[in-house]
Amino acid sequence: MQTIIERIEKEIATWSPEAGAEEVGIVRATGDGIAEIDGLRNAVMSEMVLFDPTFDRTLADALKDPNPVYGLILNLEEDGVRAVILDDTSKVYEGMLVRRLTAESSPKGGLGRLLSIRVGESLIGRVVNPLGEPVDGKGKAEATVARPIEHQAYGVIDRAPVHVPLHTGIKAIDAMIPIGRGQRELIIGDRGTGKTSIAIDTIINQKSEPSATRPICIYVAIGQKESKTAKLVAELAARGAMEYTIIVTAPASAPAALQFLAPFAGAAIGEYFMEQGKDALVVYDDLSKHAVAYRQMSLLLRRPPGREAYPGDIFYLHSRLLERAAKLSKEKGGGSLTALPIIETQEGDVSAYIPTNVISITDGQIYLEADLFNKGQRPAINVGISVSRVGSAAQTKAMKKVSGTIKLGLAQFRELEAFMQFSSDLDADTKKRIDAGRRMTEVLNQGRGVPLPFAMEAAIIFAATNGYLDTFPPEEVGAIETKLQEYLSREAGGLLIAIRESKEIREESEKTLREKLDAFIARHTAIA
Amino acid sequence: MIDTYTRLLEVTAEIEDETASSAAITKLIMHLKSAGRMRMLPQIARELKKVAARRSALRPHVEVAHKKEEAAALIAATREGIVVRHASVNPTLIHGWRAQSGGTLIDRSAKRALLHMYQNIFT
Repeated sequence: MQTIIERIEKEIATWSPEAGAEEVGIVRATGDGIAEIDGLRNAVMSEMVLFDPTFDRTLADALKDPNPVYGLILNLEEDGVRAVILDDTSKVYEGMLVRRLTAESSPKGGLGRLLSIRVGESLIGRVVNPLGEPVDGKGKAEATVARPIEHQAYGVIDRAPVHVPLHTGIKAIDAMIPIGRGQRELIIGDRGTGKTSIAIDTIINQKSEPSATRPICIYVAIGQKESKTAKLVAELAARGAMEYTIIVTAPASAPAALQFLAPFAGAAIGEYFMEQGKDALVVYDDLSKHAVAYRQMSLLLRRPPGREAYPGDIFYLHSRLLERAAKLSKEKGGGSLTALPIIETQEGDVSAYIPTNVISITDGQIYLEADLFNKGQRPAINVGISVSRVGSAAQTKAMKKVSGTIKLGLAQFRELEAFMQFSSDLDADTKKRIDAGRRMTEVLNQGRGVPLPFAMEAAIIFAATNGYLDTFPPEEVGAIETKLQEYLSREAGGLLIAIRESKEIREESEKTLREKLDAFIARHTAIA
Repeated sequence: MIDTYTRLLEVTAEIEDETASSAAITKLIMHLKSAGRMRMLPQIARELKKVAARRSALRPHVEVAHKKEEAAALIAATREGIVVRHASVNPTLIHGWRAQSGGTLIDRSAKRALLHMYQNIFT
């Protein structure tokens, strides 16, 4: 009690009635989450404003709900400005006073003048909204640094080439479409083809990284069902992945403005860690919904519609977001921000407006196909059109060594497989290639939620590419591979550690691996 | 087109000479008639009402908590560049005054100070 009294007395002592003039506006009209405001002649784009509910109420009423509603100015017009409302839109009414944020009008610990969020280590393990406010019921996050949500991406001089791999734990990706730290790799496919699963497995797999090099993961849920996000958080928590993960959520029920801001907030959080010299991974799930939210906002702001009614700057919206992913130079601390944007296609149409935009912005794409998914292939990656433009520069020597010819072999297999449908009489060589392709497809098949450590992936792919599994019929390879994993974990722990630490399969490691594989194959061939 | 006519009437409203402004309005109506655009008149009137409402919201005015504070408030507001002849009484201010003109607000009321203090302590 004494502390409170002292605090109040201190405030009274320092209070001066000589408040200066401040620039204000009046809400002319409001609707659909947009407010038209008169005044605010000196306001700038992306400036935060606050709708003051206390101005025309009595003190007693004002104290019942003194919290302002925030808005973001997105249109500067001849006779006023238009702002999107970032909170409960029903609290904003015609004639309401709108203040610009100043040191005085911004509540303590509040936001900066340009739209910013407070970031810091304390956000790790939390679920926050795009304004950085926790929504997981675990209390306030004491984040200390205010970062603008919109930030100019790093230039050429500040960047270093992408060369450090980011292991997803998914054999097909790490072997054929390697992702590097600082890269932007698009995950694209129809609904229900496993796009989110790839992103989540990648996050879960970072658990196997040493804590010093483990990236901080940020999952941005845009326009998702809250039940889906809750399930995802529970899964990450159960797998121990929330220890290094932050969830930014703007659910389907959130205003379009918050959905529009969510990926930028995720990027701002990721940049904070990148600038500390750490690695960060940000998943934008998904940018199709983000584009839809931006279209809604733009139409309500009366901006001219373009193709598919998207505004003219929809490409710039996504390019300026994804350009923020970077691998920084040593002088800048060497941190990185890897981006995994997700795009949902309709009926596999990758030539639609938003998919082509994002394909052209990113450094490659993982294309998931509904047909492959229905055939039981997991992940349902179409190897033919999936690509990583960073390529083997983002692969360890071990993975490069074992996975060299897989992509070519699988592409040949797909062609032969199509040809096989028209011909029942196949020569021995073709049949051998087809069987090899089927075996490799089985080896690369991997269920959801079971990412593998990099050394295990390398050992399994080594076995597959060096013919150790050729003695088994293709339909048995899946079961044999599971047994091989168990065997290697049990019998070759030291070998796996050596591969993990050296990041390559050295001569002595290869010798040991071959011995272990021979022993395993001998045992299982005898049983069969 | 409606915007242009509205803007024209907005400028006309600023003319202090009533005879001149009345003549201008008559000429505009004659022009609308001759151009066959009389149907636009209700829309122009509607737009003009909006402009008037906007101007009224941003017009200079001073509020005081008590009538006895009016004289001091008007002098202080004039010093800050907001010149009005009378102040309205708004008891919700508790004490002090506030003045508004265009997009500028000067709030020297006790209500504002108390709210500010509350926010500093509890947020």
